[in-house]
Formats: sequence, structure tokens, C-alpha cells
Amino acid sequence: METFYIFTIIAFLGIVGYGFQIWAVRSKIGERNDNKEYYPPISILKPLKGIDDDLFDNLESFCTQDYPEYEVILALQDYNDPAYRTARKIADKYPEKVKLLVEKCQIGLNPKVNNLIPAYQESRYDIVLISDSNVMVEKNYIREIVKHLSDENVGLVTNIIRGTGSLSLGAKLENLHLNTFIISSVCFLDKFLKMPCVIGKSMLMRKKDIEAIGGLEAFKDFLAEDYVIGYNMHKSGKKVVLSSYTIDNVNEYWDIKKFLNRHTRWGKLRWKIGGGKYLSEMLGNPVFMSVISLLLNLSWFTFFFALWVSSVKIFCDIYLGKIIKTEMNKRVYLLSPFKDIIIGILWFVPLLSSTVVWRGNRYKIGKNSLLLPYEYSGILTWRYRIISAIKERFA
Amino acid sequence: MLLCDFHIHTKYSDGSLELRKVIDLYGQAGFDVIAITDHVVNGDSMIGKLAYKFEMTITEKNFYEYLQNIQDEAQRAWDKYQMLVIAGVEISKNYLSSEKSAHILIIDIKEFISACESYEHIFLEAKRQNALVVACHPHQMKGEIRNTLYLWRNREKYAKYIDAWEIANRDDVFNVVSLKKYPYIANSDFHKPRHLYSWKTLLNCEKNISAVKNCIKHNKGVAITLFRG
Repeated sequence: METFYIFTIIAFLGIVGYGFQIWAVRSKIGERNDNKEYYPPISILKPLKGIDDDLFDNLESFCTQDYPEYEVILALQDYNDPAYRTARKIADKYPEKVKLLVEKCQIGLNPKVNNLIPAYQESRYDIVLISDSNVMVEKNYIREIVKHLSDENVGLVTNIIRGTGSLSLGAKLENLHLNTFIISSVCFLDKFLKMPCVIGKSMLMRKKDIEAIGGLEAFKDFLAEDYVIGYNMHKSGKKVVLSSYTIDNVNEYWDIKKFLNRHTRWGKLRWKIGGGKYLSEMLGNPVFMSVISLLLNLSWFTFFFALWVSSVKIFCDIYLGKIIKTEMNKRVYLLSPFKDIIIGILWFVPLLSSTVVWRGNRYKIGKNSLLLPYEYSGILTWRYRIISAIKERFA
Repeated sequence: MLLCDFHIHTKYSDGSLELRKVIDLYGQAGFDVIAITDHVVNGDSMIGKLAYKFEMTITEKNFYEYLQNIQDEAQRAWDKYQMLVIAGVEISKNYLSSEKSAHILIIDIKEFISACESYEHIFLEAKRQNALVVACHPHQMKGEIRNTLYLWRNREKYAKYIDAWEIANRDDVFNVVSLKKYPYIANSDFHKPRHLYSWKTLLNCEKNISAVKNCIKHNKGVAITLFRG
């Protein structure tokens, strides 16, 4: 059998698999939360670093929750952070709810965990909600997700995310990816494989359960602290629940570089966490597979097949968008095949490099995304120095 | 201290965002004071004529609509973000020669001023309106072919009319302004969202238009800061 047929078959199976993923999303969104009403006091921890799109509105959406008793702790590492002024304004506007905490903490290599530790220590209540600063929620958010904790066996509640905003090309690609690949993969893993897939943008936990898995300090050196927390929670015998409540991740003015950087980094994480399972991601990118098939055999058959796959994928993405009620313009979906090809190319990067640059420092990513300081020794490390020199030159 | 940016463009001239989006971008980022300063281009040169053709300039015709929209947005910005928004323009005298070109911010403008008028006329008219006059990017900018050097070359003559000079514009810093001990501010010359991350002004004064103008004029309690993402 000619090689291109293999890719053609994989692409076809990829489309079929995507159908199952859409089914998983549909089923998750349709889930009813029948847990009883439950209103324990909650501490919301918001680690801030830099200005996210719509930061003011995002933070404010947490201060206007329809919920009896809660506090919001805005945590920053220093006063020079651009997010400080927005955080200050929010703290001034909602003084009874918001606490602004500026404290340098460099206990580990993960800056988000470093930011969270002082906030966690400062928090008053037994239940904490860790929430990223680029998330916007509706007024009933806490009320809905906290119901899951009325079951003592539940240790962590996370949410599905939907990308919104999309004013620049980078933001359009990002939201497209969140609203297709990411959401469908998360729901698929949850429904069919029963794998805990925790998204750090929203994690609701009891303090006693966090302490039982070693406290936040145990995750200070992991790049994917959210995944590792979820994994350890699951291993400790507690249930990890993916709530059907959708939260918005606001991405308005992303540039292409930011999109590429994020998905290269996420790819490296998945490669280090999933190992062989990472290979299946490529099988789940039918557009890229059909393009490879076309490149291997330039013929009308492969051309029309690639066109068919792209068209079906676009329609599936539009349908998925309808299920999750995204406000994304339908024309944006025309970028979907283009985005899938970029993601297909980025897929190879983790196989070639297992380092990340974070805040100017290069780290090696170990098993389960454990960060290790990178040592510039050996002849191959010169490639990073050359890349840095070229980047500096162009800057 | 108040975080300020006094040099911002919208779609009224050559900016990439609508006025409302610009207000939200700055409001969401926690700014205290901003000035919207779209171009008023001289129509007596080839470059100016092109600006008019592509509607990349404020004209006498749409000036009051522009002012009214800024005022409406200013009210919204105050209510939502406690951010002060001041109306202004950037008088843009563009010529092929950098030596002849100059850009001037008129902040808190009330009536239209044409960019075809003489420098003296523009400055005096701005003074009559009690507006603030700022010389923009007065020196060589990195990577810029067309600079605006006229005011700097003729500073002995015009410095008395100018309330402040841009000591920093986006990524450029003009040391010469500091050496001459001129009053200074720093701005982003915002055209695109990424320009938010650039040099800015910090003012130690009350958050109202007259206090802001006085603070800049007297150049006491003024600092510059590099706002980074």
C-alpha cells in the first residue's frame, strides 16, 4: 500500500474521532448539576502577572458574584507589575470583598505557584478557588460549581473553557483552538477515558484535600501544576469533577507569536506528561494528515480529499461553536484548516526540544513537566545561544 | 502617582482601534489619565493631501463630532474606570524633509486649529483655548526615515510656547530634552494595541484636567516609567 493512503485513512479516522469528541462536548454541556444547594464560604485566589485582555472586567466579574460569603485575594509579586494598578482600582472599588497582596515569593520555579502560596496562606476560608486572571465568569459561577463539593468524595472541581474576544489574528487562532481542539479533547478524556484533565483557569478545592497531597508547595517546580494537582488528587482517591459550567477565557489582542509560543509550550508539556499518548494527537488532526497525504501524492484525489476534510472540519467546528454558544464570527472558522496546519507543524517541536524559556531563564522540562535549571554545557547547547543572539539582533 | 498617556490615536486618524476600544484598553489596564490626540494634518503638502484622501485626519468638518464622542466616552471612562480622558489633537505638519516637519500635541483643545497655519498662530491659538502644547518626538527616532525635527532645530524661537517636550516616545528616549532641561513628558504614540507597552508619564497631582495641565506646565511631580507587559 502506498504511504499516502495510510495518511488518507488516518485523516478519515480523525474526522470520525472528531465526531466522538463533539459528542463528548454535547453530552458534557447538557449535563445537569443535581447536587444540593451548598453555600460554604470561599476564598478566591487570583495570581496576577501583567495585563491580560479585559483584566478590569475579568476581576470585577469575581467581585459581583451572587454568593453569600467569599473573599477575593489578588496576589502580585511586586508593585511594578502592570497589573498592580488595575488590581488597586478593583480593591478600592470592592474593599469589603477584595484583598490586594503584594509579596515576593520565590520558593519554586513555577511563578504562578510562587504567586499563589502567599495568597493561600492569607486566605481565611476552608475552600479555595484558584482562578486565572484572564477568566471572566457569570454571576452564578461560584453558586453552580460549589454544589459539587457537597459530595465529600469530590476533591477538585474544574471547568471547561471557551475562548472569547478575537479582535486580532492571533486571538482568533487562539480562540479557535480553545473552542475546538482543547474543549473537545478535555471532554473526550473526561467522558470516554475517565482521565482527570484539570484546567488551571478554574480549580475549586478544600484546603484539607490540598494539604493531603502535599500542599501547594509540592507543585512549585512543575510547569503544568494544574495537571499534577489533578493527577495527585485523583491518585489520593478523591474525585476530580469537570463541571459543565463554561467559563470564558478572554483573548482579544493576541499576536501570532504569543499563539505559537503558548502552543509550543503546551505541546512540550503534553509530550512530557503523556509520552506515547502524545502521538495520538497527530492522529486527531485530520486536516494536517490530509495535507501530508496531498504532499506525498499530488493528485486530484488527494487534493479533493484534503478539501473535503477541511470543509467537514470547518462545519464540525461551527457546530461545536454552536453547542458551546461561542460568539465567534462564522467567517473566523475559515481559518480553522490554517490553524490545524500550524498546530500540526508545532507538534514536532517538543520532539526536538525539551526546554522552555520563562522570564528570561531557560529550563529543562522533566517527567510530568518538572522544571529543572538548564545547564549550558555540551556542544548542542550552542544552538540556544545562537538562537538568542539572532533574536537579540532582530529585536 | 497617576499613570498617564497623552499621545493616543484612534480610527479617527491612523490608529487601528475605534475610540471606544481604545478607552477600554486603557481603562482595563488601570490607567488614570489619557488624552486622545488624533492627527490634524496639513493639507498643503503631498503627504497631507494623501491623509485627506484616505480620511486619516481630523478635519474642520468632523472636529466637533470627534470632540463630542470623546466627551461621551470620557464620561463612560470616568464612571467605569475612574479614568480621566482629555480631548486633544496632534497637529501634524508633514513635509518630505524631516527638517521641515513637526508634530504638536494640543491637549484639552476646544476649537479646531488648522495645521496649515503658521507655528506662531497655532501656539497662540492653543494658548487662547488654555490648551497644553507638547512637542512630539522632537528628535531622531530609531528606524524612522521621516523624523519631525523642525521644532528642535528652532527651539530657541519656539521653546517659550511649548509647555512640555516628549522626552520619550514609545521606545525612543530623547536625551537632548533632558540636557536642555526642558519640561518633559513620555508617551506611547499609540496606534496599535502592542503600543500600550511603552514609555509613559507619572504625575503627582489630583485627577482633574486643570491639575494635570498645571502639573505638566510646572513640571513638578513628573516622572517617566516604562510600562511593560
